[in-house]
Amino acid sequence: MVFNAQTMLVIVAASVFGLFVGAIPGLTATMAVALLVPITFYMDATPAIAAIVATSAMAIFAGDIPGTYLNIPGTPASAAYVGESYRLAQKGRARETLGTNLVCSVIGGLFGTLVLVFVSPSLAEMALNFSSFEYFWLALLGLSSSIFIAIGSRVKAFLSLTVGLLLSTVGLDMMSGAPRFTFGVPDLMAGVNFIPVMIGMFALNEIMMFYGSRTEARHVPVMTKDSVFSMAPKHIRTYWRNILRGSSLGTLIGALPGAGADIAAWIAYAMGKSRSKEKEKYGTGHIEGIVDASSANNSGISGAWVPALVFGIPGDTITAIVIGVLYMKGMNPGPTIFMNGGGQVYALFTVFFVANLIMLPIGYLAIRASKVFILTPRKMLMPLILSFCIVGAFAINNSITDIWIMLIIGMVAFVLARNDFPMAPAILGLVLGSTLENSFMSSMLKSNGDMLAFFERPISAALGALVILIWVLPSLIRLFRHWRRPSQSSPENDRKNYRKPRSS
Amino acid sequence: MRDFLLGLAFVIGGGVVIAVARTYPTMPALQFGPSLFPSLIGGGMVIGGLVLALTRVGRLRSAFAGPRSQTTSYDYRSLLISLLPCALIVFYILTSEFLGAPLCMALSMLLLMQVRGAKLWLSLIVSIVIAAAIYLLFSRYLLIPLPEGTLLSQILP
Repeated sequence: MVFNAQTMLVIVAASVFGLFVGAIPGLTATMAVALLVPITFYMDATPAIAAIVATSAMAIFAGDIPGTYLNIPGTPASAAYVGESYRLAQKGRARETLGTNLVCSVIGGLFGTLVLVFVSPSLAEMALNFSSFEYFWLALLGLSSSIFIAIGSRVKAFLSLTVGLLLSTVGLDMMSGAPRFTFGVPDLMAGVNFIPVMIGMFALNEIMMFYGSRTEARHVPVMTKDSVFSMAPKHIRTYWRNILRGSSLGTLIGALPGAGADIAAWIAYAMGKSRSKEKEKYGTGHIEGIVDASSANNSGISGAWVPALVFGIPGDTITAIVIGVLYMKGMNPGPTIFMNGGGQVYALFTVFFVANLIMLPIGYLAIRASKVFILTPRKMLMPLILSFCIVGAFAINNSITDIWIMLIIGMVAFVLARNDFPMAPAILGLVLGSTLENSFMSSMLKSNGDMLAFFERPISAALGALVILIWVLPSLIRLFRHWRRPSQSSPENDRKNYRKPRSS
Repeated sequence: MRDFLLGLAFVIGGGVVIAVARTYPTMPALQFGPSLFPSLIGGGMVIGGLVLALTRVGRLRSAFAGPRSQTTSYDYRSLLISLLPCALIVFYILTSEFLGAPLCMALSMLLLMQVRGAKLWLSLIVSIVIAAAIYLLFSRYLLIPLPEGTLLSQILP
């Protein structure tokens, strides 16, 4: 069903399409899949699903290309590690970074597919056990991580987070229906869309920085030794644990309804940093920083199919569209899909393997061709990107309001970034803010305002304890160090310690 | 100095958020409602802003106490040029319905290229070709209703 000329041609064409959409800032993998739907009307079930799988997998990887060369993530799923990729590219390691990204994406995608094939029913069952209590702690865990993994001042990271959280409160309140911070603008009733905010924070901010800098110097040098795959085997050997952890985390998070590849990448990046032996290298262009997250976002794509296939519950926005396509093709998602459409389900699994493997040659060609980003002078490239930003922001809802949002957020981000405020907490605040608030309010309604209910369920209690530990641990460590210092030091030692740096 | 001012800006912003949030209704079944989270966020902005401003007070004092040459001068020209892309976005928003998206984009790209000293003929060709390509790609293929503009629709058949 898969290994025929038509399906293979569809996979290649869809991969190229996904590559194109993913590499343009503002256009997402979800948008690419949505645009494919009318075309899938005219296809059989297997090529139709193949087109969607190949497009989404390729678009998620392609988002890394502008992120690496221009510090502008092509898709939200690349935003978590865009700083690392860009700094590596500044060191003349752009192709090496993208090559490692590609290999990790393929491994992550294949890992997610294996999980999809073998453990999908039990994994989906576990994800379904998550209630609002668990989601509250999961969201708080993500937000806490964003502060503690941020580079530089934690106060600034916290303030950046409040900006994102504030943006997430715009729109109609879920519980009461009261409009908040909408200022009478109907387009704001549905809330602030994530895409214009991301374009403003990363793309417009970068364009403003460029015009404020007065230099035309290329930020990304071209190195003749920089090869796509030559260093990938070494990185895989060194960081195989990170790849495995990122892939499993991505699959698990992808399988949670509502949490997609972007959240998977953020959490994997945070987890990778917290477990790393070289934490100080994070943020300076460290390959370990991209390994976890780039495996996680592609495995998250496969993971999101688990609840979609087994229970008909979308894991992310892409699978929400996919479910519609599956119904259209007569493959009703749910437990019966394995009995009624067995052959087609196994064809779907095969498609996942093929689509992920085909990423290697097409991705390789894309990386080789992406040199255009550095060969094109930035004075010609930046105006072009500004046009894409305007059109990309408008394209989400066909609304001018989204262009205003992009503009305002871009200006705020410019001021904050110039003063060393990290942008990552703000983005995560916007992504997880509504989940945090809605799950908190639902939980409080369920428990009649009893806060102890947040610790009554086992998974919820474990997640809650983890969050508390994250907040308390740095203070405990500081206290412990403070407690140990007086006993170890003496006035004589103190004098020596003071003089030592001066004499050297 | 800038951190101090930004800290104060967050304090004021947080205060405004809390004041606005107080106007939201509470839910009858609970002690709180839609105002809870904005109030918490506003509170966080006030506290974080205060911490940021207060930690910079010492440096601010030494900056004022020291010789005037130590205070950093700010490059206002660069700041103004960095605002040019924002001004062009406003230009697009306000004029695209009349001029049309392709013309607005072409003019914006041309101006931005010229500001950074690109060759005029090259900027002209690139901006026209790219604007036309983006318009055709998005409006014809991706079916996004970019404004054609009353000016172009009158000229074109």
